Amino acid sequence: MAVYRRASRRRSVLILLVLTSITLITLDARGNNGGVTRTVRDAARDSMAPVQSAVDDVLSPVNDWFDAVTRSSDIKQENRVLRRELAEARGQAAESLGARRENKELRALQHLPYAPDLPGVTAQVIAASPGNFESTVALDKGTDDGIVNAMPVVAGDGLVGRVVQASHKRATVLLLTDAKSGVSVRLGTTGDRGVLNGRAGSNLLRLEVEPDVVVKRGDLLFTSGLEGSVFPANIPVGRVASVKSEPGAIEQTILVRPLVDVGRASFVRALEWPPRGAGG
Amino acid sequence: MAAAGGRRLIRVGRLLLLLIAIVLVQTAVLPYARVFGVVPDLGLVATVAIAYREGPEMGSIFGFAAGLSMDLFLQTPLGLTALAFALTGYVIGILQSALLRSTWWVTPLLGGLGGILGGLIFIGIGAIVGQEQLFALRSLRVVLLSGVYDAIVAPVVFPIAAFAARGPGPRTGSEMSRPGW
Repeated sequence: MAVYRRASRRRSVLILLVLTSITLITLDARGNNGGVTRTVRDAARDSMAPVQSAVDDVLSPVNDWFDAVTRSSDIKQENRVLRRELAEARGQAAESLGARRENKELRALQHLPYAPDLPGVTAQVIAASPGNFESTVALDKGTDDGIVNAMPVVAGDGLVGRVVQASHKRATVLLLTDAKSGVSVRLGTTGDRGVLNGRAGSNLLRLEVEPDVVVKRGDLLFTSGLEGSVFPANIPVGRVASVKSEPGAIEQTILVRPLVDVGRASFVRALEWPPRGAGG
Repeated sequence: MAAAGGRRLIRVGRLLLLLIAIVLVQTAVLPYARVFGVVPDLGLVATVAIAYREGPEMGSIFGFAAGLSMDLFLQTPLGLTALAFALTGYVIGILQSALLRSTWWVTPLLGGLGGILGGLIFIGIGAIVGQEQLFALRSLRVVLLSGVYDAIVAPVVFPIAAFAARGPGPRTGSEMSRPGW
């Protein structure tokens, strides 16, 4: 009898938890990125902000080391880049490499060649996503500094993603590599357009175009800036890494490597888009 | 009677502290420790540890709380991780009684299997509630890799979780023979 009561009790607990979860999921979905669930999430992120900043300050050097150890597949390419950086650094030995890189990034962000007239907010990347199924980063600024939802986010080299959640002191950026990300792009060489999608668990993006479009490895892609687009036109997005085209196929699949390696970017800029005062 | 109530309160306090520690480490420290793009899921490993030690009821409740805490920092719907962790805690708690003896490898094995199970449940339910992007072959790779990572951190997380979940009464011999003690 006691065993039966215990089994019945634990089933009731499970059913209660499942129902609560489903209610929360429904509330969140119905809130459409707003409502009570949004307020609770914002409060949680703001409360974690000081801890994240402190840990970021402490762990940045450790992160650089860990990054170098764990990304062995990129080591060859990294070596080439490092050699070039080393050559540039001769004669400036007193200046630290990290400080120079940040300085360069910040200067690049102040003079974006592809969006010279767009106002924006420069922010520091302070944390990556704590989960395994999304590609996001946290910025050290939020609505208090002028960052709002849906702002396009760029680094010196090109597009990074867009703001999907902004609390008072923090903003979360959905990266191009996230599986939910989709960007309307055009090929720099031919002008053909398509939607560039992120892929779960991959650093490469996927674009599908008609089979007669001429595209080759290394071609650049830019945001298309079609009317009503989430992103302004002509922001560099990525380079074609491979093209897969089969005879008789109705489309060819292009894999694209983003220009910005967000794992290494320290600073980004959230752009005001559409600019204040623009129609619509 | 009052002493028992006090001890129970201390236990709840320990579990709350464990939750806070998990959230702090998961959101502020572990993003720096990505290997092949994945991080271990401390909340899930702690859920497995508690379910293994305390059974399905406690496992599902702790899993719900740990998952909900993590949901606050993710972009997936609030409640999705809570549901996945609660179900994982329940399943591991049910299976716990089938384990007759404990050896050193049970901890990493449970951590890894629990991590994989939790990941699969997360993807499955996620796909049902509108997160179709999770339903991809690459997600499976992420689940397997994070399962390995979970197995590696399990020997550290299990004893801490076991300490936090320790009941008000004295420890029994069978309790002390389980992983984590």
